[in-house]
Amino acid sequence: MSGTLKIDHLSQSYVDPYSKETMTAVGDVDFSIPEGQFVSLIGPSGCGKTTVLNIVAGFIQPTGGQVVVDDRTIESPGPDRGVVFQDFALFPWMTVEANIAFGLKMRGVPKSERRTRARQMAELVGLGGFEQKFPHELSGGMRQRAGVARVLATEPSIMLMDEPFASIDAQTRRVLQQEVLRIWSTQKPTVLFVTHDVEEAIFMSDRVVVLGNRPSTVQADITVDLPRPRTWKDVQSAPEFLRLRGQLLAMLGVEDQDQVEQAELDERSAEAEREGASGRELP
Amino acid sequence: MSATTVTPATRCASGWDRFWAVALRVPGIRTWGPFAVLLVIWIAVAVSHVVPAAFFTDPLTVWNTFVSLIERGILPAYLGDSLVRLLVGSAFGLVIGIAFGFLVGLNRHVRKFFWPLLLFFQAIGDIAWLPILVIWFGFSITSVTIVIVYTVMFPLIISIVSAIDGMPQNLLRAAGSLGAGRWSQLLYVVVPGTLPGVSSGIRTGLGYGLRALIAAEMIIGTSGIGFMMFDARGQGDVAKVFVGMIVLGVLWYLVDALILAPFEKETVERWGMVEGVGR
Repeated sequence: MSGTLKIDHLSQSYVDPYSKETMTAVGDVDFSIPEGQFVSLIGPSGCGKTTVLNIVAGFIQPTGGQVVVDDRTIESPGPDRGVVFQDFALFPWMTVEANIAFGLKMRGVPKSERRTRARQMAELVGLGGFEQKFPHELSGGMRQRAGVARVLATEPSIMLMDEPFASIDAQTRRVLQQEVLRIWSTQKPTVLFVTHDVEEAIFMSDRVVVLGNRPSTVQADITVDLPRPRTWKDVQSAPEFLRLRGQLLAMLGVEDQDQVEQAELDERSAEAEREGASGRELP
Repeated sequence: MSATTVTPATRCASGWDRFWAVALRVPGIRTWGPFAVLLVIWIAVAVSHVVPAAFFTDPLTVWNTFVSLIERGILPAYLGDSLVRLLVGSAFGLVIGIAFGFLVGLNRHVRKFFWPLLLFFQAIGDIAWLPILVIWFGFSITSVTIVIVYTVMFPLIISIVSAIDGMPQNLLRAAGSLGAGRWSQLLYVVVPGTLPGVSSGIRTGLGYGLRALIAAEMIIGTSGIGFMMFDARGQGDVAKVFVGMIVLGVLWYLVDALILAPFEKETVERWGMVEGVGR
């Protein structure tokens, strides 16, 4: 399994639908992720981290630069890059099992085999016994487990995660972070993980890439030297964790995580407004 | 002081609440209760003679008229005629409306071309077409069918287009990144994802279709429930008019209870995409 990801001088501008001005969200973002590495992308709100992820996913076209996966330039979404969404994006009309099996179905895997593999994945992510439930019958944490299972069922070489735990309550979030690391370690795909949570970024990742204010560039690329498997119990008091947290919070120019959260909330709503105003693609 | 005045009122309200909670749990009361109330008011108005008898009548007379219309075979025949027209018109209307709705909703070029035309023709409401249709097709089933098709189509098209526009973008993105091509996205994501819109469009469309049918029958009909009612008006037969109105209400109630509601319960409600309509 390969999965080297090269983000090659990406830039992204858009025309503001109200002021008609050209805004540059992503200035010049350039970094690479070797096969099997878990990399978090953080930065101040509005720096375009999600935009970078959307370009890697093939959902939007960059204004400049390119994304290269295993020597191939990305032009559209594809099953080699599974995406875990903040809002889960599970299909409400499919059971958990059908959601997990969807990627296999698209690949033409026979029904009995799909079912077996979907059940295995459900078991792996801790959803055993919930296969026949519909997404709206599950809690947020369980929905995201299904979201991860749906992506990993097709064994993608790259997994893209866009703030996957942002809409999950704080206690469940910590459990889920440990769980996702455990599940990830069974396949070890390359991961690009977008978050605004500094502690989460450190806990999850091998490396943390920090973007600056817009038009954003890579401000820092920090290696996280903590042994795996990690648990919050061990990590939260580790000197390395505390040192990195202080360093990253200082880089973002804030005192603590709460300030990051508030800025992020404001930006999210502004972003949603922009996306809504700039039209949407259809199949 | 204010606390003492509030207490009895709350106790009283909670007593009522408990009464309703118990009463509404009985299926018969839940379904027929409102109609029983209506019936009582109807009898009261009829018996009190506040409205002259030439304009109003009591439930018993209406019932007798109903029985006699059935015995003479008039009501079954007229109802059959109306139902066939509604069925034929609705079937064409649904097929055309659904196909056209998806076409306009999904294709940018088709939408650019047709949207202004849709808005224009939507304004020419159903029976506004009757004069020209009668000139073209006479007092025929064709004219009635066209009016129904026309009426069923528009709410369906518009609700499908807005359902497509309102679909969460991430569902399509997720499907694409799981390897679904255009046709798979259409079949497995767009079609089920727009089902709430389609089913509410069908509901609205069929409701409008039934009204258009009755209006058309009144104006150009030679048979049917609408014709029966308008004909009875000419004879001053208030009871017959009432029978027609009640038949229409019951007809819609059955369409909802036997077709629309069970369909919605099995699909969009089960998937948690909409709450039950009117429940």
